[in-house]
Amino acid sequence: MEIALRPYQVSDVEDFMEWCDDEVVRLSRLRHFTSREDAVSYLKETVIPHPWYRAICLDNRPIGFISITPGSGDERCRGRITYALGSKYWGQGITTVAVKKVISTVFEEFPSMQRLETIVDVDNKRSQRVLEKSGFLKEGVLRKYVIFKGNIYDVIMYSLLSTLT
Amino acid sequence: KSINFQPYIFEPVFVKQKQMEHKEVDDEFSDITLRLFDLSDIDDFMEWATDDQVSRFCSWETYTSKEAATNHIVDVVIPHPWYRAICLKDRAIGAISVTPNEGNDICRAELGYVLGSKYWGKGIVSRAVQMVASTVFIEWPHLERLEALVDVNNPGSQRVLEKAGFQREGVLRKYFLQKGKSRDAVIFSLLSTDPKVNSFM
Repeated sequence: MEIALRPYQVSDVEDFMEWCDDEVVRLSRLRHFTSREDAVSYLKETVIPHPWYRAICLDNRPIGFISITPGSGDERCRGRITYALGSKYWGQGITTVAVKKVISTVFEEFPSMQRLETIVDVDNKRSQRVLEKSGFLKEGVLRKYVIFKGNIYDVIMYSLLSTLT
Repeated sequence: KSINFQPYIFEPVFVKQKQMEHKEVDDEFSDITLRLFDLSDIDDFMEWATDDQVSRFCSWETYTSKEAATNHIVDVVIPHPWYRAICLKDRAIGAISVTPNEGNDICRAELGYVLGSKYWGKGIVSRAVQMVASTVFIEWPHLERLEALVDVNNPGSQRVLEKAGFQREGVLRKYFLQKGKSRDAVIFSLLSTDPKVNSFM
């Protein structure tokens, strides 16, 4: 089972539509794509121009994504990590492998970044385990922090600090 | 005595009477009100803006010119969605602000405050924070969470929030840069549904 990260291309559109299933849409900010054209637009407008967005690939086929969004100004010391994986691949440790690959190089790729963080719904235990297994520290519960699909949620803030001096 | 901050929707007369009663028994620092800034406040603004003790935990460098301070009032303070002078006997001695967010973050806003150093330690900012907490959720019905970030090395400011009923949620490590150096910040929040502390009424 070979897990690799690489940028997305428009030619990945079918694989992208396949892994972006109901469970993924339920738990992430991704949406259902109504057509091939819809998914191609999303790849061209959101994915490909993104500062750092990678396909999580199994045997060279995309089965998910992982991205880093760096901060700017007084917030350039931090970056946000987000990820999603096709639900039929859950429970095998694949996302953890992808997160560990990212954290081994991200602080070199973004020299101003000292902190990598993410927020996770308090009820999303699977995602919390990925972060804990990857070495992130739970910093606290932020109450009524963010709106997600029309409701307001409590989230847990996790962070990982750079060990580069 | 008029109420100088955004009026309550209900019972303003009751509040006025209570403030007058307190005036008779309290000391010289109880006449605290909030109001909009005006360019005529520039000299009072310079009092704290030029003080290194005050700017120490703030994102801005100590002001050295009246022109820079005036530009800040015109460009940042006056157009800000919610920015008030903290006044003692109607003279500005500090400032308090609530900065909103957009999109998926619109349910929360960030509280900030600053006070001239000679007024520290008298409960003035606590009072101002309590006033803001009792009005901002009414003014912005979509707001559910008021949050504040305080440097871990600023216990005085942390106490202000604790006294106002904010809940300490955790420490966010190397969260932001302040004058080029990364700082750990304690994050506090007050929800619209949390009990309010109203020691000024």
